[in-house]
Amino acid sequence: LSPQMWQVGKRQASRAFSLYANIDILRPYFDVEPVQVRARLLESMIPVKMINFPQKIAGELYGPLMLVFTLVAILLHGMKTSDTIIREGTLMGTAIGTCFGYWLGVSSFMYFLAYLCNAQITMVQMLSLLGYGLFGHCITLFVTYNIHFHSLFYVFWLVVGGLSTLRMVAVLVSRTVGHTQRLILCGTLAALHMLFLLYLHFAYHKVVEGILDTLEGPNMPPFQRVARDIPVVSNAVLNTTAKTIALTL
Amino acid sequence: MSNFEQFHFDFYQSNYTIEDQEEVCNSYGSDKNLCESRKSPTEKHPAAFVPSDVLPQSYTGRILQPACSPDAAAQLGYVDGFDEETPLLEELGINFEHIWQKTLTVLNPMKPADASIMDETDLTGPMVFCLAIGATLLMAGKVHFGYVYGISAMGCLAMHALLNLMSASGVSHGCVASVLGYCLLPMVILSSSAVVFSLQGIPGTVFSLFIVGWCSLSASKIFTSALAMEGQQLLIAYPCALLYGLFALLAVF
Repeated sequence: LSPQMWQVGKRQASRAFSLYANIDILRPYFDVEPVQVRARLLESMIPVKMINFPQKIAGELYGPLMLVFTLVAILLHGMKTSDTIIREGTLMGTAIGTCFGYWLGVSSFMYFLAYLCNAQITMVQMLSLLGYGLFGHCITLFVTYNIHFHSLFYVFWLVVGGLSTLRMVAVLVSRTVGHTQRLILCGTLAALHMLFLLYLHFAYHKVVEGILDTLEGPNMPPFQRVARDIPVVSNAVLNTTAKTIALTL
Repeated sequence: MSNFEQFHFDFYQSNYTIEDQEEVCNSYGSDKNLCESRKSPTEKHPAAFVPSDVLPQSYTGRILQPACSPDAAAQLGYVDGFDEETPLLEELGINFEHIWQKTLTVLNPMKPADASIMDETDLTGPMVFCLAIGATLLMAGKVHFGYVYGISAMGCLAMHALLNLMSASGVSHGCVASVLGYCLLPMVILSSSAVVFSLQGIPGTVFSLFIVGWCSLSASKIFTSALAMEGQQLLIAYPCALLYGLFALLAVF
């Protein structure tokens, strides 16, 4: 029996090894210098003017991957400073799921749309473009999670978010032929990108505002922890029922 | 000395010992020249020293005497086994001198690292540092041992994948785990200071950022010198900083 088990084990190990060896396909996309990464980060905020011939997209995965992880870290920091409680999950899982889900999911969706609209872009280039577009999100969220002014957030949303969206849109326009196709592709990307920033700010920001209100008033009501996935309506219902019960007792 | 000489004389005289030598040479096998050089003098000696009549008598006599080669060899073998047993720490692979050297390298991120110190993967130091972080967090009232181990494991896997993709020569899991574990030492300082005063607030944040920077600078310095990736130290320091930032989040909140 043991030689059989050895054979099976060896076969499984070699299969796992060949699967692991496939990671080497990604090796050329991680071959970068720090100067290049810095240049690409700054370029991601500068919209290009020439849309008549296809703009070059760096097919690189190190920068986008690090930006996604940075966004995860910023979200975690924001959730921790606002004492967010997540039921049915963990803070880490939520943050990683949100950020990676956006990066991989929206890239795949845009690649599919690009295929339909006959745009000249590969999957790695799409991943790279969207990943570098998250640089604007990182800056905005880093600033507005620490300085809590709604108007400041809207200014950052429009300016910083808008610049990175314009850059991505311009690159896509330069690679697509035909007005309708350009409209579909760029409209979808702009909408998704801007709405994602809005979602990140409001989904993780609500609790921070709640705490600020309680700390600023002279007569402080008892500290309330707002659970993220109980909607406000049922929270109010629960509170009123508890109050009525307490009054009747 | 005289005993030894007699032993030598008898040794070369008898047929049994010549064959024994031949056997020994065959079993070693590798150094044939040495065997041949050892064989040739012994083949000459019996012709030079031993008359044919004396040989069988002296041979029989030798065997029956107690202080003879097989017994002496057995005694020698026993003594050699006890003497040649490696010390316990060496057998376990724990070398305190290396551990101390690596600790000093981590504590001084500005000193250039020796590329050979990470040749053997040593997980004793990292285990001690993880336990120390867990213990200091416990003293601050947070029971986060599971988080420490989970983050360490996931971080090691991720860094291993990234370093294999970025470097020309690959790395092993043990090397990555060892380096990341050793550079966790400044984080122990952070978590022990969290026992004394709260790290939430501007001074705490600045201190945490300083410690995270210290850890990631040491880790990236060791990785770049071990993998010969000059010019990419910042690219390696950033993921390390994100990983150590997670530990800092544990210590601060």
